[in-house]
Amino acid sequence: MIFNPEFSAQQQHTTSPIVTGGSVIALAYKGGVVVGVDTLCSYGSMADFKNVEKIAQVSKNTIYVSSGEFSDFQQVVRELAKIDRSALQYDDGVHPSPRDYGNYLARLSYKRRCKINPLYLQNVIAGFHNGERYLGLVDIYGTYLESNFVTTGFASYFCKAIISNYWNDNCTLDQAKQVIRECFKVLFCRDCRAHDVIQLAYVDEQGAHLEQPERVETKWDFSGFKNRANEKLHTQ
Amino acid sequence: MLKHLYDTDCVTWSPQGKLFQVDYAMEAVKQGSICLGLKSNDFVVLCSLKRQPSELAGYQEKQFKIDDHMAIAIAGLTADARVLCKYMRTECLEYKYTYESHHPVGRLVFKVAEKSQHKTQSGAKRPYGVGLLVAGIDPNGVHLFETCPSGNYYEYKCQAIGSRSQAARTYFESWFHLFEKSTLEQLILHGLSALKKAIMEDEELNEKNVEVGILGKNQKFIHLNAQELKDYIVKLETFNANTQIQQE
Repeated sequence: MIFNPEFSAQQQHTTSPIVTGGSVIALAYKGGVVVGVDTLCSYGSMADFKNVEKIAQVSKNTIYVSSGEFSDFQQVVRELAKIDRSALQYDDGVHPSPRDYGNYLARLSYKRRCKINPLYLQNVIAGFHNGERYLGLVDIYGTYLESNFVTTGFASYFCKAIISNYWNDNCTLDQAKQVIRECFKVLFCRDCRAHDVIQLAYVDEQGAHLEQPERVETKWDFSGFKNRANEKLHTQ
Repeated sequence: MLKHLYDTDCVTWSPQGKLFQVDYAMEAVKQGSICLGLKSNDFVVLCSLKRQPSELAGYQEKQFKIDDHMAIAIAGLTADARVLCKYMRTECLEYKYTYESHHPVGRLVFKVAEKSQHKTQSGAKRPYGVGLLVAGIDPNGVHLFETCPSGNYYEYKCQAIGSRSQAARTYFESWFHLFEKSTLEQLILHGLSALKKAIMEDEELNEKNVEVGILGKNQKFIHLNAQELKDYIVKLETFNANTQIQQE
């Protein structure tokens, strides 16, 4: 490779992501919020890193997940950790609420969008503070939304119907988790860049709880597969 | 005294361990007209005596809103106070822009103190010649802070600074145990009573030379208007802290 000094002098602008994470789905339930994401980082269409834990706990009662360029996700986690660290330095008992993190991230994303060098991410901040649930979505442009349910990536297309049919914001934690699992089942079938191992996390008044990755239920024992009916057809 | 040997600038210690320039700056605060603050569980009240440079002049405002949840009362060099006020307002706006929530009070006072301290350790600078009483509400509760030219800051239940403030502080020492559970009206009357202790014999409190600001958990910072001030000054005639004890 010939080293071209001209290229290193320019700042490059992110135009397309390289290592990407999949959809994120987050739902509020009675007493908290629950987030689900798969454990895959794709290198284009290759399923390169299959055991990635993508849920970041940025403070005692706030978690952060995103889909999109994974190195940008890691950078944002570092930026959000700075806020918590400076709170430690002031040592005055004031801790940012989940909403503070959400707005901060919206400002950060908007700043980068204005420089035409975006953080190539769709972000979800989830938390529980002062008896109130919090779910925020920040997209690549810095658009900021708060809602009872939030989806990124392909989940926004495939899963909203499932969510509106089977979920309401007063359901139990287990019901909400089940809805998320159903959504990831569908995603695994239809989204080429999805994976069947997911990780769930929930935040309630005790704080954030991250769970171990789990495999989505899939069904492959269709009689057509088992009997290889098509094969017999074509080899006659 | 050989003070003049050690008081030229901030970067010279005296043999007694004093920074004379900083001490002189604190004197400027003591020359300013009195302002005081007191807090209950739900409210903070700031009371100040406004000075009128001459018959022809207006009265110098001493209380400034920093944000909906924070206000200051000043004693000392008004010009220096303006600088700090602008700084505090800018910080609050930036914090709100970034986090969409109110700047924690103690943290802003800390920033002001840092700024003030910086001026006490430089060869070419002088300390700010103003003391602030910062009243604020944040998730940690109701706050009243005092800042000094020295860069120190303290949190108080009630405090008075400026000229003849000792008289007001003496009043506070007798009655501050009542403030926590006082109603807003009682708190304002206590503040005005303390203010009354600190005026000269030939002066009197009226709606022109008194400034009262209130801040509460569900109350954005406001000044009492002229009519409200008049009413309170009338109520002051019959206000007696002892009656508050009897009610409880």
